[in-house]
Amino acid sequence: MRILVVEDDAGIALGLRTNLQQRGYAVDVCASLASAWSALSGEPFDLVLLDLGLADGDGGDLLLRLRQARAGAPGALPDPLTPVLIMTARDQVADRISGLNLGADDYLVKPFNLDELEARMRALLRRAAGRAHPLLVHGDLVVDPAARTVLRAGEAVELAPREFALLLLLLESRGRVLSRQQLEARLYNWQDAVGSNAVEVHVHHLRRKLGEGLIQTLRGVGYFIPREDGT
Amino acid sequence: MKPAMMRAQASLTRRLLLWVLAALLLVWAGFVAVGYRTGIHEAGELTDGHLAGTAALMLNLDLPPFVDAARETVRPAIPTLKSHDYQPSLSVLVRGADGRLLARSGDAPVPPFNEHSGFADLELGTPPATWRSFSQWDGLHARQVTVLVRADERDEMAADVAGQLAEPGLWLLPVVALALGAAIWRGLRPLQALSRDVAELEVDKAERLEARHPYREFNSVVRSINTLVGQQQASLERERQLASEVAHELRTPLSSIALQAASLRGELSPAAREQALAQIGADAMRAGHVIAQLLALARASRADLQQQMQRLDLGALAGRVVAGYAQASWESGHTLSVQGEEGLEVLAHPLLLELALRNLVDNALQHTARGTFVCVQWGHDADAAWLQVCDDGQARPGAVAPSAERLGLGHKIVGRVMDVHGGRFTQPAAPAPFTRCYRMVLPLTP
Repeated sequence: MRILVVEDDAGIALGLRTNLQQRGYAVDVCASLASAWSALSGEPFDLVLLDLGLADGDGGDLLLRLRQARAGAPGALPDPLTPVLIMTARDQVADRISGLNLGADDYLVKPFNLDELEARMRALLRRAAGRAHPLLVHGDLVVDPAARTVLRAGEAVELAPREFALLLLLLESRGRVLSRQQLEARLYNWQDAVGSNAVEVHVHHLRRKLGEGLIQTLRGVGYFIPREDGT
Repeated sequence: MKPAMMRAQASLTRRLLLWVLAALLLVWAGFVAVGYRTGIHEAGELTDGHLAGTAALMLNLDLPPFVDAARETVRPAIPTLKSHDYQPSLSVLVRGADGRLLARSGDAPVPPFNEHSGFADLELGTPPATWRSFSQWDGLHARQVTVLVRADERDEMAADVAGQLAEPGLWLLPVVALALGAAIWRGLRPLQALSRDVAELEVDKAERLEARHPYREFNSVVRSINTLVGQQQASLERERQLASEVAHELRTPLSSIALQAASLRGELSPAAREQALAQIGADAMRAGHVIAQLLALARASRADLQQQMQRLDLGALAGRVVAGYAQASWESGHTLSVQGEEGLEVLAHPLLLELALRNLVDNALQHTARGTFVCVQWGHDADAAWLQVCDDGQARPGAVAPSAERLGLGHKIVGRVMDVHGGRFTQPAAPAPFTRCYRMVLPLTP
């Protein structure tokens, strides 16, 4: 999952980047409204963590602009439906109401518990994927994004963080083909050095650990996990 | 307030009523005294008039020659002759030119003959009693008529007249007192309503005294109370804003520390680990700086301030503060300088003014890009001295203005410092080549 952190405090930005990367997220950081808008206009993000008091303006303006962006074809950027979680030091009820009214999906006051932040992020990602259940179930495969565990026929399967993220992406997009470029964009941040066959290597590892039939290849197009009803 | 204290407290209504009743009683007593004196006087005049009138009547009657009345005859009492309260019991004596008693009526003892005419108070009878008499001769000086009346009868009439005058006042007094009490109570109702409204005023809920007190006597009171309430509310709002700014300034480094601590629990490269630890140190120092500023501000109470005020050379202060930022500005790529009038002094709290200047220099260094020129300037106008920090940060390529939120606490502290100095904190137009100035304006030293 790729997260955009819009935060101008270097310490918080560094802490969020490090912690979320440790938990398997691809994280990019923008310190200003202008750079954040450029990022949202050029790359797909699964979630935005937005600070309000930024050097060049109020984060609420970016949120409003994002929500007012015209929704285009699937994959068009910026995506006005991108979930946004406001994280700020403003703790007044009026600030919370204002932030939520601008279109934020959630609001968290600093300082926050990292586990709570991740739980809220997962809830937003789940909601964006159109499901309410916290577990992803596909046949005999059960994935728990919160516990970061994978069970295949009741047996635990060990996955590397990037493999887990790739499996999650494909399961969230069941029935839909994701190109290698799309997968790279959702799995790696700007700083990550991405090898030309990195995605293929992770798919190969997943097939080895979870079985050959789970992830399908559409040659020249990309990868997908078919929906269970076959449609 | 304790109920016992409320019971012991004097009532304005009761005080007013007592004073009004006391004044009324005084006026009434004066009125009764004057009435009594007037009654006595008028009763005397009336009695004398009766005596003179009766004498004139007797003298003008064409009476036959009086028989010799030297011999006492039996004079039966005729009670019906005195049937009215104000009918005096007059006695009449008629004497000849030689003093011989010619006729006598009434029960007054016969006084010794006196040729003089006019009024006289005589002591007659046994035991002696005071009689008021009037004697007058006829035109031929052949007959003298003397009319007498008992003095105590006259005094009784005078007291009666005075009593009749005073009596309505005596029974009207309680009625007037009740009416006055009701009038005062009713008249003071607007004051009681104002008092109740003031008591029920909840300052922290931004309430004000309503304009339902239409009496002009209350205008200044209502205005003053509303002004005080307004000041109190503004003060509370300032406190709330300051608390909010402080919370913001502390939450940011605390959040960062918590995040670095969490990341240190996971796997990190040695470089990332070192970076996280360095960030924790920097954030802890940042939080400590905020706390130090707050403590300095809290310690500088108004009471202390007056004792700690001293003459400060603005140039020396600016030089000292800027010198303290030499290393920091070199590291951040800023150019620092000072500029101002030599020997300009103000009366100020040295610690607080230095704290305020440091805040402004801090802000200028932290929120402007490398290469920014930051200058501390000072000078004076006709009635005030000023000390300001200017920078040309906005003129730098890619510069962005720091948000008001980020400058918030520092500026709040500067504003507070200016408040306690009786000065003000402003953002004047920046002189070229600067793009932004923050100015502290202080009263000039006399």
